[in-house]
Amino acid sequence: MKFLELIQKIDLKIKLAAIAIFLGFTAFIISNPFDNSIVKINAKDLAVMVQAEVDHVNVDELADWIIKGKSDYRLIDLRTEKEYNNYNIPTSENIPITNLLDGELFRNEKIVLYSEGGIHSAQAWFLLKAKDYKNVYMLRGGMEEWNDKILFPKLTSNATQEEKAKFEIASAISRYFGGQPQIVTGNELTLSVANPNPTPKIQAPASSSTGGAQKKKKREGC
Amino acid sequence: MNAPFFKFDMFSADFSLVIAFAIGIGFGFALERGGFGNARILASQFYFTDMRVLKVMFSAIVTAMLGVFFFVAFGWLDLSLVYYTDTNLIPQVVGGLILGVGFVVGGYCPGTSCVSAATGRIDGVIYLLGVIAGIFVFGEIFPLIEGFYYSSNMGRVFLPDYLGLSYGMIVFLVVLMAVGAFAAAEWGERKMAIKKSGGVK
Amino acid sequence: MSSITGIFSKEEAVQEKIHEPKPYSNPYLVGIGLGLVLLAAFVIMGRGLGASGAFSSLVATGVQQVAPEHAANNPYFKEYVGDGSTNPLKDWLVFEVLGVFVGGLISGLLAHRVKKRVEKGDRISVRNRLIFAFIGGGLMGFGAKLARGCTSGQALTGGALLNLGSWAFMMMVFAGAYAMAYFMRRQWT
Repeated sequence: MKFLELIQKIDLKIKLAAIAIFLGFTAFIISNPFDNSIVKINAKDLAVMVQAEVDHVNVDELADWIIKGKSDYRLIDLRTEKEYNNYNIPTSENIPITNLLDGELFRNEKIVLYSEGGIHSAQAWFLLKAKDYKNVYMLRGGMEEWNDKILFPKLTSNATQEEKAKFEIASAISRYFGGQPQIVTGNELTLSVANPNPTPKIQAPASSSTGGAQKKKKREGC
Repeated sequence: MNAPFFKFDMFSADFSLVIAFAIGIGFGFALERGGFGNARILASQFYFTDMRVLKVMFSAIVTAMLGVFFFVAFGWLDLSLVYYTDTNLIPQVVGGLILGVGFVVGGYCPGTSCVSAATGRIDGVIYLLGVIAGIFVFGEIFPLIEGFYYSSNMGRVFLPDYLGLSYGMIVFLVVLMAVGAFAAAEWGERKMAIKKSGGVK
Repeated sequence: MSSITGIFSKEEAVQEKIHEPKPYSNPYLVGIGLGLVLLAAFVIMGRGLGASGAFSSLVATGVQQVAPEHAANNPYFKEYVGDGSTNPLKDWLVFEVLGVFVGGLISGLLAHRVKKRVEKGDRISVRNRLIFAFIGGGLMGFGAKLARGCTSGQALTGGALLNLGSWAFMMMVFAGAYAMAYFMRRQWT
């Protein structure tokens, strides 16, 4: 009791100063609150998400978004810079997987990841999920599937009418992205348009997916 | 907890205006409680007779800074999503000097002049008109000073990164600095009071 | 120093013409309260407090109303007016500053501190005080735009977030004010 009385006698200013110094010292001990390398994950939660496949985006969905100029997501190419420069999906940004957590991505963004196949993007997805990123998606099949379905759609000679109609749409999409629709006759493969170019260089159709958030920042100030 | 709430789309942009109004009420209330609606109290900071400006400002900074630090440490707040302006060192230094001169000439800063005007001070109202005129002039001559305005851009500079020290270390140093400044202010106020009363006290 | 302090009469001045207002609160507790408001803004909105930005929106809107083409051609006003799809006054800072007026009024009413008056030292006329208020406000408005914020937007917000530019700015505000204080002593002391 005597101790409490003693504390009550101390001036309020001194008490507040002591609390501030104590908290400041605790901060000094914690030293760096955003340690990037150690994470805690909710394994069950992640496993359920994997099972439910809620985190996939199909190539035709993505193609549709790009054509419509949707900009509410960021498309991240996880491959090396060289591969990225060789060919990349329009509107994408290159963030190699080792730089993923360096602060270029924000937790409130919708992020679509893709790599050559699906493995790197799945691993990157796990990293981001573990770091508490909310809206992370993977491009199903990655670059390989983008090549097969979007850039170089195929039509077999014994295709049904329905398949042919679908191919017409696919061809239009393919040409939009600078690809080559292909018609397969027997075992041979003919391009519907001459000029075989396996990795077309194309420009992003609409405004790039970056910027947006940054551009209007100047206004936010006091 | 995912903060900042707004950046995680927990409510709409329209609702954010309601929050703006509520936060503004808290802000105005605190400023008035501190005596910041009164130009003479604000100005006396610069004659070392009443150091309320320093005390209120630094305790606010220390409180918010510690709060942010621990929220980040608990993983509740994503600091990269909290907005602050880029550093443009030279325009900000020059702007700060002009603002400081304006402070002692006019007696208020924009926030406190709102409180002053709301509590019936004519000088606060006139001051606000001055602020509006100043911003108008700035806007009109902006094309001429645009180069200077954007000069020495250093991007978003976080002090711990800039100084190469840990976040916690800087927080601790700021706390120590503030407590030291408070002690000096208390001491200075006592000295000035003694001087004023003719050294009798 | 004695030339400044010898003529000091603040307390007498405060005591005259005031109708039993309550004394101002403990500055440290006020500071903590203000800090918590600021923290709430960070946590809820992901941004700090501000004041001068609201007046920029107001000025830009005014210019747009009077001379729409002029506002559209001016790179600074254009920033605030936007592309016309939204009302520039439907802005976070504008609503926050409206709140500041209301909050200040509530606190003032509760403490009986609302009264029509002019704050000044004894040695300056009301007219000169108002002229200085206008000039000071003008400098403040100009400086705040150059520095990308005023005491609330830079010093408080950026200070708590440990922003380099804000701390440099804060030091300069005090430097500028202390350097000018001597020349302004007739107004305040």
